[in-house]
Order: sequence, then C-alpha cells, then structure tokens
Amino acid sequence: MKLIGIVGTNAEKSYNRQLLTFMQRHFADQAEIEILEIKDVPMFNESADQNLPIIQTFDQKIIDADGVIISTPEHNHSIPSALKSTLEWLSNDVHSFEGKPVMIVGASYHDQGSSRAQLHLRQILDAPGIDAIVMPGNEFLLGHAQQAFDEHGDLNNEGTVSFLASCFKKFLRFTNMVKMLNVPEDLKVNPGTYDVTAMGHNGKLPMSVEFSEDKIENIEIDTSAETAGIADVVFEKIPAQILSGQTLNVDTVSGASVTSKGVIDGVAEAVKLAGGDPDVLKNRPRPSAKRQVPPVEYETDVVVIGAGGAGLTAAASVLQRGQRVIVAEKFPSVGGNTVRTGGPMNAADPTWQNEFSANPGERTTLQGILNTDEATIDPAYVADFRLLKTQITKYLETTDDDNEYLFDSTLFHRIQTYLGGKRVDLAGHEIHGQYDLVKILTDHALESVKWLESIGVEFDQTEVSMPVGAKWRRGHKPLKNQGYAYVSALKTFVEQRDGQILTETPAKKLIIEDGEVRGIIAQGPDDQKVIIHASAVILASGGFGANTKMVQQYNTYWQQIDDDIQTSNSPAITGDGIKLGTSAGADLVGMGFSQMMPVSDPETGELFTGLQVPPANFVMVNQQGKRFVNEYEGRDVLSKAAIANGSLFYLIADDKIKETAYNTSQEKIDQQVEDGTLYRANTLAELAQQIHVDPAVLTTTIAHYNSYVDAGTDPEFGKNVFDLKVEQAPFYATPRKPAIHHTMGGLRIDTQAHVLNEQGTVIPHLFAAGEVAGGIHAGNRLGGNSLTDIFTFGRVAGKTAVSENQK
Amino acid sequence: MKFIGIVGSNADQSTNRTLLNYMQRHFSQAATIEICEIKDLPAFNEPDSKIAPREIQAIIDQIQAADGVIISTPEYDHSIPAALKSLIEWLSYTSEAFNNCPIMITGASHGTLGSSRAQNHLRQILDAPEVGARVLPSSEFLLGGSLRAFDDAGNLVDAAKIHELERDFTEYMTFAQDVNQLIAHSSQLHDKQAVWTEE
Ligand SMILES: Cc1cc2nc3c(=O)[nH]c(=O)nc-3n(C[C@H](O)[C@H](O)[C@H](O)COP(=O)(O)OP(=O)(O)OC[C@H]3O[C@@H](n4cnc5c(N)ncnc54)[C@H](O)[C@@H]3O)c2cc1C
Repeated sequence: MKLIGIVGTNAEKSYNRQLLTFMQRHFADQAEIEILEIKDVPMFNESADQNLPIIQTFDQKIIDADGVIISTPEHNHSIPSALKSTLEWLSNDVHSFEGKPVMIVGASYHDQGSSRAQLHLRQILDAPGIDAIVMPGNEFLLGHAQQAFDEHGDLNNEGTVSFLASCFKKFLRFTNMVKMLNVPEDLKVNPGTYDVTAMGHNGKLPMSVEFSEDKIENIEIDTSAETAGIADVVFEKIPAQILSGQTLNVDTVSGASVTSKGVIDGVAEAVKLAGGDPDVLKNRPRPSAKRQVPPVEYETDVVVIGAGGAGLTAAASVLQRGQRVIVAEKFPSVGGNTVRTGGPMNAADPTWQNEFSANPGERTTLQGILNTDEATIDPAYVADFRLLKTQITKYLETTDDDNEYLFDSTLFHRIQTYLGGKRVDLAGHEIHGQYDLVKILTDHALESVKWLESIGVEFDQTEVSMPVGAKWRRGHKPLKNQGYAYVSALKTFVEQRDGQILTETPAKKLIIEDGEVRGIIAQGPDDQKVIIHASAVILASGGFGANTKMVQQYNTYWQQIDDDIQTSNSPAITGDGIKLGTSAGADLVGMGFSQMMPVSDPETGELFTGLQVPPANFVMVNQQGKRFVNEYEGRDVLSKAAIANGSLFYLIADDKIKETAYNTSQEKIDQQVEDGTLYRANTLAELAQQIHVDPAVLTTTIAHYNSYVDAGTDPEFGKNVFDLKVEQAPFYATPRKPAIHHTMGGLRIDTQAHVLNEQGTVIPHLFAAGEVAGGIHAGNRLGGNSLTDIFTFGRVAGKTAVSENQK
Repeated sequence: MKFIGIVGSNADQSTNRTLLNYMQRHFSQAATIEICEIKDLPAFNEPDSKIAPREIQAIIDQIQAADGVIISTPEYDHSIPAALKSLIEWLSYTSEAFNNCPIMITGASHGTLGSSRAQNHLRQILDAPEVGARVLPSSEFLLGGSLRAFDDAGNLVDAAKIHELERDFTEYMTFAQDVNQLIAHSSQLHDKQAVWTEE
C-alpha cells in the first residue's frame, strides 16, 4: 500500500512533521508513506496561472497513492493558511482528492492537540471541489507534543503508540473499502440507436448515439449548424474520449465549452432514453488521468509560434523555400482569430474593381480626399498623397454619374490605411501607421491574394465586398466558409509538405544562447516539456484582446475599460508572443490602442447573438431608454459613446427590422427570448419594463426616431442613413456592450519582419508577423486590413527567415 | 466613525470587493470605510521573529486607527480563503490589532448559500483567544447569487437585501461604539494578553 503524508504547516520546526516521520518508520512494514512538504507552495490565487509545477507534482502523487494522511497543527482554532492554500490549489483546476481516502491526525503544544483544526479540516475535505472520503471517528489528537517524542523522534508513550497503531490499521481497511466504492458501476441499457438534440454554441446539434447492452458503441453528430473550424475539435475529441473511457466525466475543450457541454449532455440524454442511468457514466473516472511524460526535443530550421493566419502563412512560405518548419500552437485547433473572421481581405486590384460600377456616395468620398488639407498629412505620406490626388482628379474628370466604375489604387489603399489609423490618445499624443510598413502592406496586398489562390483559396470574383469599417470596397472574399477558408487551405498545404503542427503546445520561453535566439521551449499535452531547436523563431501568436488585464495596463485611449469587459477574440489571444519578444529585449509600439466592437454580447463578447442588423437599422438606447449617438458612426465613436453611457445599451428593433438581421434564425431568436438574453414584447411600453426603462421615455425616444426616418435627418445626433422605422410588433431589445476586438499595438518590426530592440536594431533570428506586431494599424485598424496584414507579413517573415538561415 | 473593510479574497475579480465598495458609498454619510486589499501580502510562515513584515504592519496601523473592521469573505471549500486566514495569522502572531476589535462579517458567493460555512469558520477563528476579536453577534449578512446581485454601477439591486444590510450596519455601528467604550473603561479587558498558540 502506498500512502502520502502531508505536513500541514510551512513552519521550520513542526511536531506534525515529526509525527508523520514517526508513522513512516513505525508502519514501514504495512505501508510506504511518502511525505510531502508544503512550504514551497505559494499562496493560492484563483486569478493566477494554475499550472504550477509543484501542484502538478502533488496532484500526480496523490492520484497515484492509495490514501492520504494529513497532519495538522491548529492556528487560531483552524488549520494553518499554508495547508488551506495547498488544498485550494488541489481543488480548483485539478481535483486530486476526488474519492481519495484520508486520515486526519494532529499535534499541538496544548491539551487540545489540534481538535478544532481537525474538525474544520473534516468540513473542508467534504467540500464538493475536494470531495475526499475522510475516515470517520478515530481522532488522533497529540497534545503536549513537545514532551511526546524521545531523542530518536519516536513517540514515548506506549498507550499513544498503540492507539495510533489501531487508528492506522483501521485506515488501511478503510482504504480498501473506499476502493470498492470507487469501482465503476456497470451500465445497463436497451441496445439500439437513439436520436437526441444537444444545444451547441450556435443552436441545435442533432446527434444519434448507439448502444450495446452495457456500452456506448458510436456517437454521430450533425454539425452543419456550427461555425466551421471553431468547434471541430469538440466533435472529434469529446466523442472519442467518451467512447474510449466509457465515461461522461470528460473535460470540456478550452475555447468551446458550450458545445463541449452540449455533446456531453446529449449523450447523457441518450443514455436516459435507452433506459440507463447517466450518473453511472458521470461518476466514472476521467479517461486519462494526467501522466508524467518525458521531455521531447525537436530540431528544425524555423519554428513558428501560433497557427493562426500569420503563422500558417509563414510556415507555408518556409516550406516553399525548401526549409523545414515546426508550428507550435497553444490550442487544440488551429486558426486563432483568423478563423473567426467574415473573410474579406483588402487589396487594391483596379483591373478587377474597374469592372464594377460605382455606388452612390463613393464619388463624395473621393472628393473628400481632394479636399483634405495637405498640412494635416504626415510628411512621410505627402508625396503619395499628391500622386493620389492626381489619380483621383483624372478619374473624376473622365467619369460622370452615368458612366462611373469603381475606382481604386494601391496609393488610395495606403492613404486610407494611414488616415484610418490616425488617432489621438487621452494624453493628446497622435499616432499613425509607420510609412515603411504601410507601404509594404499596400504594395504587396494583391500579391498576397494571388499567393493565397495558388495555395488553394478560392475567391468570389462576382462581388467586391466592403467589410464593416473598411471605408472602401476592395474586399476579396473567399467563395465559402469565411475565415476558415484560409485556415483550412493553409493547414492542408503545410501538412502535405511535411510541415509539423503541434497543437496543445503553447510556447513558454525562447531559448536564448549567448544572446542569440535558438528555438523555444513549449508545453505539450499532459504537460510534456517540448524543446524545439531552430535557427529562426517567428512569433505569430496574435494580439492580446483576451487578456483584459494587459489591455487595461497599456490602455491610453479609452476612458475606462471594465474588469468584466468581454472580447470577440479566441481565449488563446493573451499576448504571449509580446511577452516572449520582450524577454529577448524587443521594443513595443502603439500598445495603448485597442479596438472595441461596440455591438457585442454583454455576457460572452460574441457577435452571433441577438439581432445584428445593418447600421442603417441600428436604434441604440441607453439604460435610461434614450438614444445617445449617431448609430451610423464608426466602431470607436460608438464604443466611446456606449462607455460614456455606462457600457450596457440596447438595440431596439421591430418585426420588420428583425427581418434584416444577418446572424440569426427564428429558432435561435425564440430560444434566446426564452433564455432571457433577448427581450421581446408586444408593445414598446412592455419592452421598456422588461429592460427596466421608463416606458414613457422609450416610447418618446422611438417616436422621435421614427419621425427622423420620415424626415431623412436626425437633428439630435446627426444620423443620416436610415432604412426602416420601429413600428411593427413584436418589438425587440438586444442588450449590447462594447467588447475588446483588436489590439493594434505590439512588437516593433522592420519591413523584413525582424523584431527590433529598443535601440532600433535587429534581434538576430527573431521575427514577428500578424497581430503580435505593431506599427501598422496604429490607432484604428480598417476592417479587412488585418487579413491583408497577416498574409503579407507572414510571407515576409518566412522569406527573411529562410534567406538568413542560408547565409 | 471610521472602519476598515477587508476584502477577503486575493482574486482579481471578487463580488466581496464589489459589496464593500457598495457599502463604502452607501454608508458614506454615516461612516468612512477604508478598503483594505489582501492581494499581494506575504504568506504567513511562522517566522522566528515576531516582527510584522512592512505590508502587514501597514494594515495593523490602519486597524488600530479605526473604530472597527468589516470582513467580507468568499467561501473556498467550506471555509475562508487561505489568503484571508494568512492575514489573520499574521495579525495575531505579530500584534494585538484584532484584540477587542469590533468586527462585522459579511460575505458574498456566486452560489445560493452566500458563504455561510465560511462565515461560521471565520467567527470561530476570530473568537480564538489569541485573536480575541469582538464579533457582532446574531447577525449574518449572506449575499448569495452575487454575480447577479449588482447592477452595472456596482449597486445592490434587491431592495430587501439593501434594507437588511442597512439594518445590520446600523446595529454594527452601535455595537462598535459600545465595545469601544467598554474597552476604554475596563482596564481588565484592555490588558487581556493575546497568546499565540504554537503547534
Ligand atoms: C470576431 C472577429 C472578426 C474579425 N473579422 C475580421 C475581418 O473580417 N477582416 C479582418 O481583416 N480582420 C478581422 N478580424 C481581425 C483578425 O481576425 C485578426 O487580427 C487576425 O486574424 C490575426 O491573425 P494572427 O495570425 O496574427 O493571429 P491569430 O489568427 O489570432 O492566431 C494566433 C494563434 O497563436 C496561438 N497562440 C497564442 N499564444 C500562443 C503560444 N504561447 N504558443 C503557441 N501558440 C499560441 C493562438 O492559439 C492562435 O491560434 C476579426 C477578429 C475577430 C476576433
């Protein structure tokens, strides 16, 4: 029998330690007791990294042991904070004590022998997060501990020793009993195939589950309703784990917990339908308890951190140039934020665009450029600005209202990127895109589109799209699957050319030898240490939009960023690459500027929920039921206004406006109303009550809005593009809050994607591409420019890395 | 009157912090509440020297200059968080800051029970002779479902709950005044020795 003894204190000198070492010697012929010291366990903090090596070691040892003995002193009538802290670590992310037999002993100076602490410890071990099975009775309380041991550290009173021996013997029997309790129960069901509907992230997931008499044989899920890419891993991993372990006690997949839970609940439902008891499966052990795996080492030419758009592009171009590449990806699935995009990427392609006729208003936009005062243009851009003006003048001269085609040029893209990125922060500092980087972006944009086509991405030639916030129609949109189109083509390309993608392997450290970057150390599945030696490292881990603390820490733009602000980003996007870069001395640029998505779900940050309609049909009211902004404004104006109004606001819609929503279906709407995440009522007054707004105020607000739609102008906030009025019941209110969407700042790079240090010199062998880098989008990223950025600079990074490796 | 409000959690996000911030604003006419964070305090390790580290001494000074202490505790595994326990250990090991100090316990939890078991443990701990605090008897403010209990501005939304808190706080102010007067007039209580029971 193998037992663990935990010394319940971090003090240098402890009679509880002495008691455990005595038990270790005295009972050596009955059990092997390994003693764990808690003095190196830091104070528990639920907000800190939960993967501490010491906690992982403890967890493993406890899981492997047959039982645990805890020896506790008493501090202030309870257990010491150091012991409590250890138990908190072991019951938060991991649950080491689940079903584990535990014996409590304790020693103290006084009569009590830690009696009150032992009672507290019992109650604590009984908590659901710990769920230990504590041996009842048999309280071993060692009072006057300072007199209890002889000079060899043995207990000197025979009576005490024999009482301890009798408690210990009972504990060994108790341990065997608990083992029986933990033997999994058999499942008994009526064989057959059962159809159920689980709730996924985006709605219903029909599944069918096949049973034999005592086993789940197969799980089929109809995944057509889910967003391609994001939840794919769930559909592979969760059913596989359920089937291989014949258990429902499986962990959810990070980043897709709703869908994971949906699948688990669906199988449980099917078990019920088949006449079985799902709890039998839920009580079974997890499929693969964490194992200690030996470190693994790789050797390659280029290692890329992050398998989003930038990382996969860099990897593909390394392979195209004949070198080897390994991509380390933090999450179980590839794609990062790239897979979440709608797909259009900006690139001026006049030959193609000129085939399309101009839209109303576009001429005015061009006129606006001509009217821009040259004194407001940064000197670096002035030459390009003048050239652009001649291009526009020529276009306006040679066309008229009846004979207009869609204008564009590389210079127009460049100047719009510059103008769009120009912002002033709270302290009055101006920022704009760095000329040399913006030039690379715009000069090579079209080349990136062509390159993607050669990789296997098919674009829709029939429409030039304009992503939200893009300012001009120059979007090339994949024919199908939106952002996933890029990721799946690139992934296939990389894998077919023997590029290696290691998923669930976050990079933790750069290997720096003699001041030179030489590879990375990452953490693989089961916490395996993964060492990758390489001649070059490309950082492509995306921005830091899912790291609220980091956004708050650097923010210089927003008046206020709430602690509970949500994000539209993948939870993996936590600025890891920026930290890795600075560990090698990298300089940062523009870190204070982040972009908010004003119309995000207040609870999840997502854009899929509620009624998302075209901006012409946006009617935004604050928590008092009043409009507060021109709803047709850009993202940052809307976000600023929302924040000034307490962040939470509502999009009001009627039945007709509902029809213009592009993100939902009647089924989803009904479900959300039922869940209380979307409000619906037959009158505006009732709707007002549901959202705790004065009915009179909301009714007046909407009456005014309707009159502005009729008049075509809005004297209050200046909205000038309208579509429908709010008049047809039922009425809807979608709660919205700004969420962090994009981080413009990042590592300072040069035109060849080298990472620069604070002196502005190249850090050899270290490159960065994509949202991890700064300097391009500056204060505000144009919609559709990010994709251009990652596919352009991803290629630049791959190319430079290979050519420098060959030197 | 002046009170110290101890946030019983070291987490970045805590509804116990929200509750204390709310009390600070809501009762600002009646009392000053200074919020005390336990986030980055050193962990108690029973050092040989009984001298408080700088950060702990700062809290001791704060408590001694106040008329009482409000502790708002979450519940971790049926008890108080280790981080809060550690602070109490420091205080009782290196000072008499809690000796005879009038204390009000509040607590918020995401679940329905509102940290009831943790509050009971906290009472027993504060009642240990070497701590010697004077905890407001027969009142407990348990805020269950704390994630939904506050509006965007951090104010309690349920009128009944607000009323309960007002009642408890008024009672606590009277209690604190009485205890402090009693202590000032009774040399016996004043001299009561706080003894740290070592293991
Ligand atoms: C909802 C949404 C919609 C958007 N729509 C558009 C749009 O229509 N057009 C547009 O141009 N832009 C859009 N954007 C912005 C755009 O998606 C991103 O800026 C862009 O995809 C970033 O690409 P990337 O390759 O730099 O990073 P990502 O695609 O985010 O990839 C980073 C990868 O690195 C991994 N990673 C992170 N840390 C580590 C680590 N320590 N070790 C290993 N791997 C790590 C992540 O898991 C991830 O897979 C949108 C963003 C969002 C969130």
